[in-house]
Amino acid sequence: MSAAVKLTDVAMQFAVAKQHEGGHHRVLQGLTLEIQRGEKVGLIGRNGAGKSTLLRIIAGIFPPASGDVWRNPEMTVALLSLGLGFKSDLTGRENAFLAAMLQGLTRGAANKHMGAIGDFAELGDYYDEPVKTYSAGMRARLGFATGLLLETDILLLDEILAVGDNKFRLKARQALQEKVTEDRTIVMVHHAERAIRDMCTRAVWLEQGRVQMDGDVDAVLEAYGKAV
Amino acid sequence: MNYCSWGDSVQRYHLKIEISLNPAQFFSLVDTMARLSLRAEARRFYFGYFWWVLEPLLYVAVFWLVFEKLLGTRTPDFLMFLAVGKLTFIWFSKTVNTAANSLVNNAGLIARMDLPKMIFPAVVVLECSYRQIAVFVLLAIFILVDGRQPTAHWFWLLPIAVVQILLIVACAFIAALLVCISRDFVPLISLGTIFLMFMSGVFWDLNTLADEHAAELLVVLNPLAYLLDAYRQALLWQQSPDITHLAAVGAILVAINLFLVKVMQRYSRHIARRVISQ
Repeated sequence: MSAAVKLTDVAMQFAVAKQHEGGHHRVLQGLTLEIQRGEKVGLIGRNGAGKSTLLRIIAGIFPPASGDVWRNPEMTVALLSLGLGFKSDLTGRENAFLAAMLQGLTRGAANKHMGAIGDFAELGDYYDEPVKTYSAGMRARLGFATGLLLETDILLLDEILAVGDNKFRLKARQALQEKVTEDRTIVMVHHAERAIRDMCTRAVWLEQGRVQMDGDVDAVLEAYGKAV
Repeated sequence: MNYCSWGDSVQRYHLKIEISLNPAQFFSLVDTMARLSLRAEARRFYFGYFWWVLEPLLYVAVFWLVFEKLLGTRTPDFLMFLAVGKLTFIWFSKTVNTAANSLVNNAGLIARMDLPKMIFPAVVVLECSYRQIAVFVLLAIFILVDGRQPTAHWFWLLPIAVVQILLIVACAFIAALLVCISRDFVPLISLGTIFLMFMSGVFWDLNTLADEHAAELLVVLNPLAYLLDAYRQALLWQQSPDITHLAAVGAILVAINLFLVKVMQRYSRHIARRVISQ
């Protein structure tokens, strides 16, 4: 099995007001992690443990403050999180079209997906209404449906299953399950243990920006459950 | 600790939308974003797209009222003189001030996708340029209603506008980067464009400056002053602008823009970190 991502001694900090933490909030510190091609990894940890920051560093959205990040040059990667900054004055269809193009599709290819996205998001006539008229659930459903277009080797999922009612969640999980092919590497952040158990083969517990525990899903979830 | 090394993986990432590899796809994305942004803006206002021409018209009306009626300017044919200067200057000022916030206003998107960062100011430039087409049509109607005939000199409009776009792109990129470094630049950029309005001959003729050396220096140091004068030469005075100067300004701006594109590409992820952590 070849490596997909290697992080060595990675640290990350963000500037905050000078009176707090000396002006720098440390999100990750001394984090070392290796993920193999085809692995399905679940990231768990408390709020502020650095899970979403770690996904963004793996996605290459920003570099860490220090440390080494290596990603397999043969593999493409994308981060899927809900709501790609929808423009509230545009309709759901227009936002979906924009999201599709942002994900690298041509105009023609984006147009072909518009019907399927509207159907999946179950927006009905609201699909052609401005997003500012949507409920939070409708926005989340649209965000999930547009994100399903991603077809990359490494898929990073940030809390995307916390969407809609139970019926829609089940549909969303099934749709996502279709993307979890043997060769695709998945790194997902999710607060619900069940989603991690269902989809992941390995769990990594982050605590204060470091790897607290790494290994079998059941063992890590059990230890995490006792600690929180 | 070692500084982060991305190696070859950076080049492979988001291959489909990496501008250096596919300019057509980049332009298509920028064009879509600009058109949708214009559509969203039009929906916010009762008068919708009508504001594209209404706002510049009102600017001209206000300046005309103050300088012609209140202060009694001696510039001959002042209304047309002002219309050409103001309607072309607005293109510059509106774009640069809007582009200044283009990176920080898209922090949500930048936090989720590794897009080429120049997309954001580029969208603003294209958006304002689409509006400017309507303004140029309005300007042409203004001139024709004033009793002037179109002449061959009007063709100069195209190269002058191209050089102005190059100037706008350069200033828009610089403004967006500065605001990315610190939001304190927002009021400074706004003040800077007002200063430029006073220094570019929007409502006064730089050919009337008593000190010829000062006028020459102004034209050399401030390309906007030169461009506004060139527009008037072509549209109002049936003259050809100084082509050597126009070409030189254009060439320098192309070089500056290429440099800025490189900066945006080189520091793309650092820009993202800065925008997100602000």
